[in-house]
Amino acid sequence: MCYNTHMNIIETSRRKFLQGSVSLCIYATSALSSPWQTTKTSNKKTTDTPYLCNMCRNKCAGYARVENGLITKLNPNHNFPKSRNMLCPKGNAGIQAIYDEDRLKYPLIRIGNRGDGQYKRATWDEAYEYIKEKLVKIIDEQKDNRSTIAYCNGEGFNKDEYIKFFGSKLGSANFLDEGSICLNTKLGATQLTIGDVGEMDVAGSDYMIISGANRYESLITPDSVDMIHSKQKLVVLDPRCTVTAIKADEYLPLYPGTDLAFCLSMMYIAFKEELYDKKYVNEQFDDFEKLKAHILSQKYTPEWAESKTHIPSQKIEKITREFFAASNPLYYLGRRSVWSQNDFQLRRAMVLINALAGSVNRKGGIIFGQPIKLNDEEINEPLYNNAEGRFDLDGIVYGSQKGGSWLNFREKVVSKTAPYPVKAMFIRKHNLMQNMPNIAKTKKMLEMMDLVVVLDTMPSDTAMMADVILPECTYLEREDMVVSFNRLEPSLALRNQVIESLYESRSMQDILKGLGKKLSVPLFHVSAKYDEDLQDSIKEDGLHKAFVEGGYDMAELYGYNTTQRNKRLITKQFGKEVYNSLKEKGVWYPYMDEQKELFNDFYEYYPPEKRFYTIDKKYRVNAYLKKLEKAGFDAMPTWHKYYDFNLHEDEFRVITGRYVTTTQSATANNVMLKDFEKENYLWINNNNAKRLGIKTGDSVVVMSSVSSIVIKANPTNKIAPNVLWIPHGFGIDSQEMTNAYAKGASDNMIIEDKFEKIYGCATMHETNVTLRKL
Amino acid sequence: MNFIKKIIPMKDFTLKSLMTFEKTPLNILMFILTIGLLGAFGWGVIEYLIHSHHAYNVTREHPWGLLIAMYIFFVVSSTGLCIVGSLGDVFGFKDYMAMSKRAILGSIVTILAGFAVIAFEIGHPVRMLIYNVLSPGLTSAIWWMGTLYGIYLTFMIIEFIFLMRNDMKNARIFGLTGLLVGLAAHSNLGGVFGFLNARTISNGVFYPTYFILTAFITGIYLTYLMYGFRYKMNFPEEIKKGLIGLAKIQTLLLAILMFFETWKMMTGIYGGMPGRADVVEHILHSGGFVYGEVLCGMLIPFVVMLTTKWKSINLYVYASFIGMIGIFFMRYDLVHDTQVKPLQMMKLTEYQLPPKWIEYFPSAAEFAIGFGAIGIFFMLYYFGQKMFDLDGGDH
Amino acid sequence: MARYGMALDYKNCINCKACEVACKEENGVELGAEKHRIWVGGNNPEGAWPLLDMASASFLPSQCQQCDDAPCQEVCPTHATYYDENGVVRVDADKCILCSYCMNACPYDARYVDERTMTVDKCTFCSDTRLARGETTTACQNTCPTKVRTFGDLDDPESEISELLRTRDHFSLKAHLGTKPKLFYLT
Ligand code: SF4
Ligand code: SF4
Ligand code: SF4
Repeated sequence: MCYNTHMNIIETSRRKFLQGSVSLCIYATSALSSPWQTTKTSNKKTTDTPYLCNMCRNKCAGYARVENGLITKLNPNHNFPKSRNMLCPKGNAGIQAIYDEDRLKYPLIRIGNRGDGQYKRATWDEAYEYIKEKLVKIIDEQKDNRSTIAYCNGEGFNKDEYIKFFGSKLGSANFLDEGSICLNTKLGATQLTIGDVGEMDVAGSDYMIISGANRYESLITPDSVDMIHSKQKLVVLDPRCTVTAIKADEYLPLYPGTDLAFCLSMMYIAFKEELYDKKYVNEQFDDFEKLKAHILSQKYTPEWAESKTHIPSQKIEKITREFFAASNPLYYLGRRSVWSQNDFQLRRAMVLINALAGSVNRKGGIIFGQPIKLNDEEINEPLYNNAEGRFDLDGIVYGSQKGGSWLNFREKVVSKTAPYPVKAMFIRKHNLMQNMPNIAKTKKMLEMMDLVVVLDTMPSDTAMMADVILPECTYLEREDMVVSFNRLEPSLALRNQVIESLYESRSMQDILKGLGKKLSVPLFHVSAKYDEDLQDSIKEDGLHKAFVEGGYDMAELYGYNTTQRNKRLITKQFGKEVYNSLKEKGVWYPYMDEQKELFNDFYEYYPPEKRFYTIDKKYRVNAYLKKLEKAGFDAMPTWHKYYDFNLHEDEFRVITGRYVTTTQSATANNVMLKDFEKENYLWINNNNAKRLGIKTGDSVVVMSSVSSIVIKANPTNKIAPNVLWIPHGFGIDSQEMTNAYAKGASDNMIIEDKFEKIYGCATMHETNVTLRKL
Repeated sequence: MNFIKKIIPMKDFTLKSLMTFEKTPLNILMFILTIGLLGAFGWGVIEYLIHSHHAYNVTREHPWGLLIAMYIFFVVSSTGLCIVGSLGDVFGFKDYMAMSKRAILGSIVTILAGFAVIAFEIGHPVRMLIYNVLSPGLTSAIWWMGTLYGIYLTFMIIEFIFLMRNDMKNARIFGLTGLLVGLAAHSNLGGVFGFLNARTISNGVFYPTYFILTAFITGIYLTYLMYGFRYKMNFPEEIKKGLIGLAKIQTLLLAILMFFETWKMMTGIYGGMPGRADVVEHILHSGGFVYGEVLCGMLIPFVVMLTTKWKSINLYVYASFIGMIGIFFMRYDLVHDTQVKPLQMMKLTEYQLPPKWIEYFPSAAEFAIGFGAIGIFFMLYYFGQKMFDLDGGDH
Repeated sequence: MARYGMALDYKNCINCKACEVACKEENGVELGAEKHRIWVGGNNPEGAWPLLDMASASFLPSQCQQCDDAPCQEVCPTHATYYDENGVVRVDADKCILCSYCMNACPYDARYVDERTMTVDKCTFCSDTRLARGETTTACQNTCPTKVRTFGDLDDPESEISELLRTRDHFSLKAHLGTKPKLFYLT
């Protein structure tokens, strides 16, 4: 196998480039990684560097072992409450992300058509210069409406800083992130119902119900660990028999999208049998009677729920009674994408069930806790009078003011119904061409742009749509700003730099610094042309002062490097000891000295009496949301006929999810993880498959209203009839991702781009398809 | 040359005479076959040198393949020929005196062919020679087998030398020792499998004894083939006598073998013990066993010999050819069946049916080396014939 | 001088494969499905949706069982396989002739061929990596999210593993073969 396909210089034609790389791999051996991909650690002691993982959303803490400049091993860091001394398979395989031969190594400027992968190598300055020229022209054309430049970010780290740069400094209102293709409904439902997004105390709960969240496979976090170690009873609802279902004490198979019916019935039983926590309800609920009357009058009986969900009514009764009889019950609010139109109300129903049981602001419930507040680094924000507001929340009842609604945004851009044209996009670690439904539409949107800039580590499908690709370094090659985590056992953690950045890649901070230096003055002049207030202040104070005091220096934050900024910020707010702890152990929390080993390398962090189970906080449980009623939606969770799972015999519902070895499409090219699942398989009920003559490994065509895919079949008894499961993160189209290209199929090719109207979130489980054997 | 001739009498030959032979159609066919097989062997070796074990289809679950089977095939042949050869010079059966030389030469060249195969199966043959001596693993059947076969080869060569010098006293001494060492080596090879207590189908006393029995059978088959070729089916009387005697012994041995096999299978299947009964059933349903081992290896020769009143020697030569095909399947199946039942029965990835039977089919390189070694056997045997006077028995 | 063993609380295993990746990275094990020192076997639940027999679905982490009476050691013709001073079954690559006898003899399918050295390799309890530099536990134990594994000295009555084996029921794989594994499965 050839591991030496460098994307160093892509000449005029792809073929030529590929030929070049083929001959290269005969002679060239990489100095960075052995051709065997793994390097045995030596028997020598080393001083390992504490870092924070970036292979998935959890950000576990680890120690990186470096030998002769090469990272040879990543180990868990036992000091971090949020990662419980573990690293999952992806965390362990992080080394392969650093030493991936396909990584973006140099700035690249497009020379062919969008998507065909023809780029030329450029210096950083050439790349900045290219961006500057385009931007000046675009902003000038748009008469200083900065919002014509949309920007997005799919990575949790450095997000706020990225927003500071493009939002505050550059002045665009159009920021988008993964929230609207992820779990914004859950955050919103919690916020609107109990006034805070809170945190779920899994470890403290003695009875837990999970709807669909596959906590042992799709994402391994402390919740997953706590589920194993706490003595709780675990009930799992899922159309698919996942590992989480296998490990549960009780698995309730149900039809997709019907979890809400189960929740409504739980409430019905709780009201009917008066199982709820009366004291809590009296003290905290608003509109309790309204809710009760609504649920009872709708007759959400267990028998009714059985007809929707397929869960036997006696089971529903039994689980409900057990749940309300438990001392610390928790209905897990989920941690995954939005499923269907009823998602907001589903999450709300879950919050309300927790509240009815009194499981809010107490051990084992939704806790508010006390996160450590980090001081903000203040910057001087310019005011752009001509910058218009965002439009992606038009027609959305709530929506996230921060991350917006991707599908609504894209729809408005593509259909040209946005109030002003969006001409440019800055995309950081956000694989738009894979991460949202209906990929063809995303492609169309990007093709409409005058300028697309991608900051990433890998030549993703999205990078292949860029005009300029800026190679960001990976998480082990940079120091990031300190982050505060968690509410129950809050801590600070710092991602330290493990090795110097490889090739010509740079940290986001350095990229923005360079961009800022290049863009500030020219863009300032554009503003000066259109912005009357600015013209006034130039007249009054002179050019220089107006520039500086107006905050137009986009690189303002980057007068100091990240290490210096961290040191200043942390020592000023918390003192030197905390800073030293973060540098040496990667972590700080107040009771570090008391951390004790419970068993077998498993630790207790905060002493139980110091945890923030219950805090003094005024809040109400809002059973009834007036704003929703006004907007013509349900103010309380309600079932509608069109939520029913009711398919024709030949129709199938597509649902998605992840393997334990994939984090969306970000891990698609990781050789180590690819070893486990080279491609994705379509799960289809074995009886369905039999009827269609489909056997294990057969290729099938799956067709929806937007497109079709070809994928191998996995007939199994572990999935409901007429439901198809497509694991996400496969079917990569970028040929530069040599391990991932054309392996398996992408779910988002065929998922229809529908979104719900409360938060504008993409509904991933509402597409019906047909299929046939190829 | 003269020095060598002093030690071991040889015919007069020149390089040219070595290279010329009577151009009968059979001889030409054998020539082409030998060259073809040697070519295949050479190609296989080159494949192996370039790709090392990647050239083979052996896997973690099925680490032994065709080459081990062919190695066994050759060493069983060698032991068998050694037994046949001993009948005359060691045990003094008059009828077989004339066969000793040819049989012993045969046993030497077959084991050399076997060593040629194993040299490309063992990952580090040179290292083996070193550490077999420096760090002997006395609990290892492979160590004993390898060491004993080394000694055996030495004795066989010495015996052959005395035979050629017509020094029957010394030939008998070395022949007897060689035979005993050979039998020990050979039953150790059976022990290599018999010791595998993880492999219920092979574990136990069966293979060590079965190996001796089938060696004898193989030896007789091969003797028939060698003489059939030597005399172009026109056998002199004294040879005829010996061959008829061998056919009778063969019939008896085959009958014993059939009982052996029957009881192995019956006891294996009885009680339905997992890992044994299911494997036996699997074997009973495999073509290699039914057509190869039973039909070719046992039944056809048995019936042919039993029903022809010890008269049709020519027919027995053909039956022996069929018998050798059966012997090949016995060796191949023995290796494959030992490993056919997976030791790890759970699925390791989602998209996999739980492992049921381990699949194996030899690669081109394995075929080339394994069968190509038959060419080595042909070549060495041919030169042996040219260089030594193998006819003439006790003078 | 110790006698290392491992106890596995295998019912806590979630088949996440972290141990397998950690082992490969720590010990420089080659990529490729065949090349693993450690693995997790899984069983599908029986039955038809929705009536699945969940008790029949299980995960079983496995690796070299570090037999006290190791067939692989017994059959090795050159003593390439040996017990080190801590009772760990190891392979001396310099002596291994790749006869593959041990691969056939190991009842647990724990051995594989390392293509770089063309010798047989297996789990070493991280003896030449982590333990050699004074660390006290293996890579697979260290990384496991649910802490399925407990690694320690069986000869030390105070060790966590000794305590576990005293207080919890456990079994060994294919115990009837008399291999005396030093991996213990807690029930
Ligand atoms: S499990 Fe296998 S490799 Fe490990 S010591 Fe036992 S026999 Fe040897
Ligand atoms: S003990 Fe070490 S070598 Fe053995 S399986 Fe675990 S990580 Fe791998
Ligand atoms: S790391 Fe632990 S939970 Fe994950 S597969 Fe290995 S033993 Fe099982």
